[in-house]
Amino acid sequence: MPPLLHQVFRPVPFCTYYRMAEIADTRLARLQPRAGFKLAAVWTYLGVLPFFVFIIAFLIFPATNLFAGAFQDAKGNFTLVNIQGLFSPYILKAYRTSLEVSLITSLSGGVLGFFVAYAITMGAAPRWVRSMLLTFSGLAANFGGVPLAFAFIATMGRTGFVTAILKSICYSAADASKVCPLDPYEAGFSLYSTVGLAVTYTYFQFPLMVLVITPAIEGLKREWREAAENLGASAWQYWWHIGFPVLLPSILGATLLLFGSAFGAYATAQALTGGSILLVTIVIGQQIRGDVLGDTNLGYALAFGMVVVMAVCIALYTVLDRRTSRWLRR
Amino acid sequence: MAFLEISGITKHFGQGAGAAVDDFSLSVERGEFISFLGPSGCGKTTTLRVVAGFEQANAGSVHINGAEVSSVPANRRNVGMVFQAYALFPNMTVAENVGFGLRVAGQPAALMQARVAEMLELIRLPDYGRRYPHQLSGGQQQRVALARALAVQPQLLLLDEPLSALDAKIRIELRSEIRRIQQELKLTTIYVTHDQEEALSLSDRIVVMNLGRIEQVGTPFEIYNYPRTAFTASFVGHLNLLPVQVTDAATGACTFEGTALASSQPAPNKQAGSARLAIRPEELVLGGAGANRLSGRVLSVNFLGNVVRVRVRVGAVELSVDMFNERKLVLPAVDAQVVLSFPAHACWLMD
Ligand SMILES: Nc1ncnc2c1ncn2[C@@H]1O[C@H](COP(=O)(O)OP(=O)(O)OP(=O)(O)O)[C@@H](O)[C@H]1O
Ligand SMILES: [Mg+2]
Repeated sequence: MPPLLHQVFRPVPFCTYYRMAEIADTRLARLQPRAGFKLAAVWTYLGVLPFFVFIIAFLIFPATNLFAGAFQDAKGNFTLVNIQGLFSPYILKAYRTSLEVSLITSLSGGVLGFFVAYAITMGAAPRWVRSMLLTFSGLAANFGGVPLAFAFIATMGRTGFVTAILKSICYSAADASKVCPLDPYEAGFSLYSTVGLAVTYTYFQFPLMVLVITPAIEGLKREWREAAENLGASAWQYWWHIGFPVLLPSILGATLLLFGSAFGAYATAQALTGGSILLVTIVIGQQIRGDVLGDTNLGYALAFGMVVVMAVCIALYTVLDRRTSRWLRR
Repeated sequence: MAFLEISGITKHFGQGAGAAVDDFSLSVERGEFISFLGPSGCGKTTTLRVVAGFEQANAGSVHINGAEVSSVPANRRNVGMVFQAYALFPNMTVAENVGFGLRVAGQPAALMQARVAEMLELIRLPDYGRRYPHQLSGGQQQRVALARALAVQPQLLLLDEPLSALDAKIRIELRSEIRRIQQELKLTTIYVTHDQEEALSLSDRIVVMNLGRIEQVGTPFEIYNYPRTAFTASFVGHLNLLPVQVTDAATGACTFEGTALASSQPAPNKQAGSARLAIRPEELVLGGAGANRLSGRVLSVNFLGNVVRVRVRVGAVELSVDMFNERKLVLPAVDAQVVLSFPAHACWLMD
């Protein structure tokens, strides 16, 4: 039971890939004939060679380069100027905006996604609604970047058609002036602001949450709910004492995933606002573009800073996860 | 009125579906141990869930201790339930699981701890309070589930195949444990099973069910020795059936392939014609001096431990004969010609 629980309550992307790799691994091991061991081993290594080449060329090498670059000046001498540069008001503000947008969208997308997942698993929704929503989530969770930005500009932009529809709902007030209560831009909304960015991000955040949390909610056993009811618990007491605590490790993991996906997003924001909202990713883009205003090494330092932020988040997650999934450990 | 009065319960799942439970009525006295016995899908669980309040019946009523409970939600019925498996809360320790009912009822912590300790003592796992469910064996988990249901002092205990996920040895051990606890607490209990041995060994009375209906209600002795329907007779224990022609419906005399046989009861439909003569394998004797005698050929001999089951072909039918095993027993040889005998009072006529 415990390993099974573990699989069910972990976010899908991690565990499925991990499990698949594991299964493939054991299959491979069994296929290897004893006698031709050395030859088989050579072939195996040859097979994974492209993977290692790829990893070294495009992950380890650039990452090392990047970390080193964060501590170097343009001539390659060691310096802490870049790191100091991170604490300038301009860049601190970029970090704050990035963190804000990521936090807001991971929470709003998380909450929204949780309730959608809850509705399609626990609610009385017919099967086709459920499979339609899951298919949509699979698509939408991967629909980011420039197309998403333009889709939102076409609907919620200043001249977008949803904006136009909302704008056209008007009535005449007592003094014969025209009042349009639903005009979003009159009400202070702008797609090209932080709020607009958050709305746009939520479009891929909440389906991601749906995908990740649905299997966990499905893992809640009917017997737990009925046993709780049988012992006199109300629906609230069931959720408070059993449903929510059991889901908590998965919810934490999923929220972290959402946070990461928003924190690292670049193209959506760039296309939507043309770089007018300063996110860390956009500032990095400005620095490493290679024009005279840019400072490549500062860009490296900025990326380094992002890695540090994610590392802190993961550390925090690990601590929380240990506390909330005590009952899962042997 | 009996302590638990189930009257005319009928339950359909959706339009057009047949009845999962069909006009089920039963009176259970305080302190009785009742088993629902029947094949898979016959409506045992559904009936139990109606009593527990998890399912709403389409017709009929349930009275517990004189009160009609149809409109009382499941969490207010004070009816304990033990599920087939995996129903312990995985995020709580054994002690927290057992204390859950008292906790949600807002009982003081001291009382809760005392009660948890008492319950763990009752199920003989006093040192397991701090473990999590996944650190227990299946049998231990079911004991804890039982303790959890008992901790709130339910007026009625319902068990839905609580042992079916366990292996044979633990099953036997745990079922006598359940009986011991039930008698200690004098608790009115309904036990669902499709294992006839379990039902026969545990119950004060057995309710045999088939296709949503009650076939027969009776003590284990009545159910086994005086089955009233063909279904009960063949579902509980093994039964040999001989196609016979009734010659005298009043005395129960009949012939099987020309051989005259006597039974002690009149034919059920009170007339001559085709019928079936039922006889349990343990009532047939190889050789012997019974009034009814048939000859046949041994097909196989199966050694089952305490009994030896011999298959004998008699005319067009195959009969099972059970012999008690003893060290001096002489086993018949396969293909040997044998004579079977049985007394008139051991067999009965069925349609
Ligand atoms: N929720 C449900 N929806 C539709 N049909 C159901 C539902 N629950 C039970 N049934 C049907 O009702 C009938 C009785 O089911 P029930 O679970 O009571 O059988 P059972 O006697 O407990 O069987 P088993 O020994 O397999 O547990 C079955 O035909 C089953 O398919
Ligand atoms: Mg059942």
